[in-house]
Amino acid sequence: MKLVKGVKTFMRVLTVTLNPALDRELILPNFTINSLHRLRNPSDSVMTPGGKGINVSMILDSMGISNVAMGILAGYVGRIVEEELRRLHPDITLNFVYTDGETRENITVIDPMNDTITEINSPGPLVSERELEIFYRRYLMTLPRVEMVVISGSAPPGVDEGYCLKLVGAAKSKGKVVFMESIGPFFDRVLQEDCPQVVRADLRREKRVLGHELKELQDYVELAKEIRRLGAKAVVLSYKIVSDVVATEEGVWKFTIKDHVEVSHLLGTGDAFVAGMVYAVLKGLSYYEVLKYGMAAAIAEIRHLRKSELSIEDMERELQSFDIERIE
Amino acid sequence: MKVRDVIIRDISAVFEDETVENFVIMCAKQLRSGLPVVDEDMVVIGFISESDIINATVPSYFSLLQSTSFLPDTHQLVSRFARIKDRKVSEFMSTPPITVREDDSLMHAADLLIRRRMKSIPVVDSYGRLVGFVTRMQILRGAMEKRWEV
Repeated sequence: MKLVKGVKTFMRVLTVTLNPALDRELILPNFTINSLHRLRNPSDSVMTPGGKGINVSMILDSMGISNVAMGILAGYVGRIVEEELRRLHPDITLNFVYTDGETRENITVIDPMNDTITEINSPGPLVSERELEIFYRRYLMTLPRVEMVVISGSAPPGVDEGYCLKLVGAAKSKGKVVFMESIGPFFDRVLQEDCPQVVRADLRREKRVLGHELKELQDYVELAKEIRRLGAKAVVLSYKIVSDVVATEEGVWKFTIKDHVEVSHLLGTGDAFVAGMVYAVLKGLSYYEVLKYGMAAAIAEIRHLRKSELSIEDMERELQSFDIERIE
Repeated sequence: MKVRDVIIRDISAVFEDETVENFVIMCAKQLRSGLPVVDEDMVVIGFISESDIINATVPSYFSLLQSTSFLPDTHQLVSRFARIKDRKVSEFMSTPPITVREDDSLMHAADLLIRRRMKSIPVVDSYGRLVGFVTRMQILRGAMEKRWEV
């Protein structure tokens, strides 16, 4: 596979966001609870389309990688998500199915003075069996036209564990490379029954995957090896903010960023990691190199306060910005 | 200007065996006036609009009358819609589909929209597969923005 910069073929990547969101980021220095805060500038309040798969789509688009974003939206908020996505990234092809209710809003308060991020995420609308069938048929129709599939984020109410398994299975059976980033029971089930080729656990809120309680470095290493045994070609587990434990068939490594990391700059780094890996797989690199590109993209994202657009140059500039320690 | 300058890259569509009710729900939720009808390979095989459904729910003799305002409302619209809501989209869609390509001129798309009394036209690739659509307003916006550039 050859990736030509600046040349967009139609839809190389399909991203699936079952539970998109309208992300509202507020920058509030010295944020405290139980008090009144006033925003100083309009630019301190930003509303953007969100949900992990959509974030990956936006970063891929900014890298010049054509992609189609699929997901389930709802109501007025859903239409804002769609309109904003279309306005900000007109080259992303959209294929959303609508359900009743309202798409969720994710509110993030960034405090650059105290270096904190406070997030409030809602669960999302209830999706009916009928809408899931409508979505699945459109997903099957889109699959033959892409090279790889990214399934990212949480599942809204109404989506059972078997549904994600069905999405992964359909993509793999058509020979697509599947990336998955998530957490929870449905994620565990997918890993156990039909493991995607590239796996990143979303460990922001929960540090338990496949029954492993993640506390010490060795816990992360054992989990990475287990996911690899289940069939993953590349595994990523974020470890203590500044590091990632990564694994391929060749070994297990710890990547650690060399610079000091502002916690308030971590927004969107997981999605950038996935986008960087997608770029590298499209480029035909080895899975070890794929992981390095993912880390570089995440570091490039850290350089920005908000989740933002990344160029290939931004990412490649960071390829030397982290230490690599071989663990096994 | 070309169609690619104003295309909305959205491949929302219905399948020919889906129901009229499903089509109406999709249009209502996505604020669309019509949708391309595609096969399993995403090839556009027809187009269905709100007009097609309204036409099917209004008695055919209405077209012979100069005005229907004097007729009492006997809930024919509701009962006729109830009769067709579970029927397939393929029974009401327009075929063959009117489509444009990304490298077609915007003038050509504008002409088709007016001549065929459509509000949007599907945009297809060289295999006839759906890649997006253009609307009347997108064409106007495109023309307006280009004017400022000039």
